[in-house]
Amino acid sequence: MSMYGTMRAELVGAGGVVERNAYLTRRYIWWDLAWFAWTVANTLTIVFIAKGIEATGGSLNVNETMTTLLIGAVVWAYLGILFMFLMETVSWERWEGTIEYTFMAPLSRAMHLAGQGVFAILYGLVRATFLFVVCAFVFFDLSMPNADYFAAFVVLVVSSISFIGIGVMMSVLPLISPEKGPQLGFVAQGTLLVVSGVYYPVEVLPQWMQWIATISPATYALDGIREAILEGQGLTAMWDEIWPLLIIGAVSIPLGLWIFSRGEQYAKKHGKLKRSG
Amino acid sequence: MSEAAVHVADLRKTFDVPEREAGLRAATKSLVRRKTKEVRAVDGITFDIAPGEIVGFLGPNGAGKTTTLKMLSGLLYTTSGKARVLGHVPSKREREFLRRISLVMGNRNQLQWDLPALDSFELNRSIYQIPRDDFLATRDELIELLEIGDLVRKPVRQLSLGERMKVEIVGSLLHRPQVLFLDEPTIGLDVTMQKRIREFVAAYRERHGATVMLTSHYMADVEALCERVIVIHHGRILFDGDLAALASTVAAWKTIAVALENGAGDLSAYGEVIHRDGDLVTLRVPKADTARLTARLLAEQEVLDLNVEDPPIEDVIELVFAREIEE
Repeated sequence: MSMYGTMRAELVGAGGVVERNAYLTRRYIWWDLAWFAWTVANTLTIVFIAKGIEATGGSLNVNETMTTLLIGAVVWAYLGILFMFLMETVSWERWEGTIEYTFMAPLSRAMHLAGQGVFAILYGLVRATFLFVVCAFVFFDLSMPNADYFAAFVVLVVSSISFIGIGVMMSVLPLISPEKGPQLGFVAQGTLLVVSGVYYPVEVLPQWMQWIATISPATYALDGIREAILEGQGLTAMWDEIWPLLIIGAVSIPLGLWIFSRGEQYAKKHGKLKRSG
Repeated sequence: MSEAAVHVADLRKTFDVPEREAGLRAATKSLVRRKTKEVRAVDGITFDIAPGEIVGFLGPNGAGKTTTLKMLSGLLYTTSGKARVLGHVPSKREREFLRRISLVMGNRNQLQWDLPALDSFELNRSIYQIPRDDFLATRDELIELLEIGDLVRKPVRQLSLGERMKVEIVGSLLHRPQVLFLDEPTIGLDVTMQKRIREFVAAYRERHGATVMLTSHYMADVEALCERVIVIHHGRILFDGDLAALASTVAAWKTIAVALENGAGDLSAYGEVIHRDGDLVTLRVPKADTARLTARLLAEQEVLDLNVEDPPIEDVIELVFAREIEE
């Protein structure tokens, strides 16, 4: 098969994975709505903190603090969706009992994971947008007169490349440990965000955490989105956030694929590629 | 002679399996000093399967059958030895190899439970790069052969075990694999459904000249489909040859089922009575004496019906395993 033919075959296969995820999401659409309601509730508990501080005599710009917290909560939820879909590359298939067949299919692992990742991004972006709109304008009527939503959206999309790379690294865990691996995805999500200033400026963190923040894509994603929403900065002023995201993405994607391939080799050597582990 | 479709030489697979005594103390101890035991799942097997051949791969649970099939499908790495399928090394996951094989496991599924089978078929079309016209032709042909036209639109979770197996088989064959590994494809199915699946496998092989390797605990599957069997136990091959030769090689006796005009009297003078059902008596006789004893029975008794048979294949295989234990 020519290189063009191989590439085309791979892309069609990845498209098939995206399509299958779409079918599955469609199958569970009402449960997804219930879960979305939970995410909204969870986000509200965080955003209300600003109002609580004001009510107990604290002095702060309530609108700005609520928006800052909301952005943190939305990014947290978005990252959760990306990691969940990538972790499900193994854990969901194991639960369904389809894992052996998926790993036997004539599709490169890179394209298999790309299919998972692309759907996760598309689904996550739609969900994050709804979450932001519902919380900002339905519940709180927040004022964002200068917001550049397009720039914020682009930063989120660019950061997704890095997030997918890290998610691919995490998705190997259920392959190595069928029982406990999936939970470690939450550990990675929490660790990534805690050093990245999810609800506070990175400057309040201890020095060693601030150093880690410089290599976390979430730091640049949160900074960029906040600058776009709160300060109205456009894409041209956002290069300081975008180039580190591109570099981290360029490193994390191949690194993630390499780690996943090592995990797959381990699973095939030790017989872990089956439903019951 | 053309190249073997499946070539296996001195193939081995060992696993390090953790083990410990029962109890909290042993559990705590195992945290710092974990003991493992080497288990030889497949222990130096060698065989060739010619293109278009259908071979029964038999053995009790834990014999190494599924491990072998997984190594041949590229799902497990070999510990040592050589495995080639259609000239490819399975563990390399070459696209041309993966597009030409299929593994059907009776206790696993490739179709998503929550989706109608038709949706999963579409995924296979994308992944296996099947041109739409070919896909539709093969899909409809298989659906017709297995008579499942009304099942493929329902979510797989709503199908019975037998129905699910049929749609699973369609999903596995959409890309028209040249080598088919069938691991217990009729497990848990009723007799009618087993027969249907057997007929289908035979028809598929006939139409497409596929090479088939079949494991099954149902000897009816093996007898109906396979001329050759490979018997494996504890990861080693105990027998590889014609199914008919298995009985004559291993079992030193035959059975004579005889019904007499005047009811079943004492026939112990002719052989060991192993079964009695009304007027029908089944005798076990030494293979070398079968002709002489049959002639005697016909001459001395008023015989209504008489049937000389090799022992049931289940008994023969049991005998193979028993011999291995003795050795």
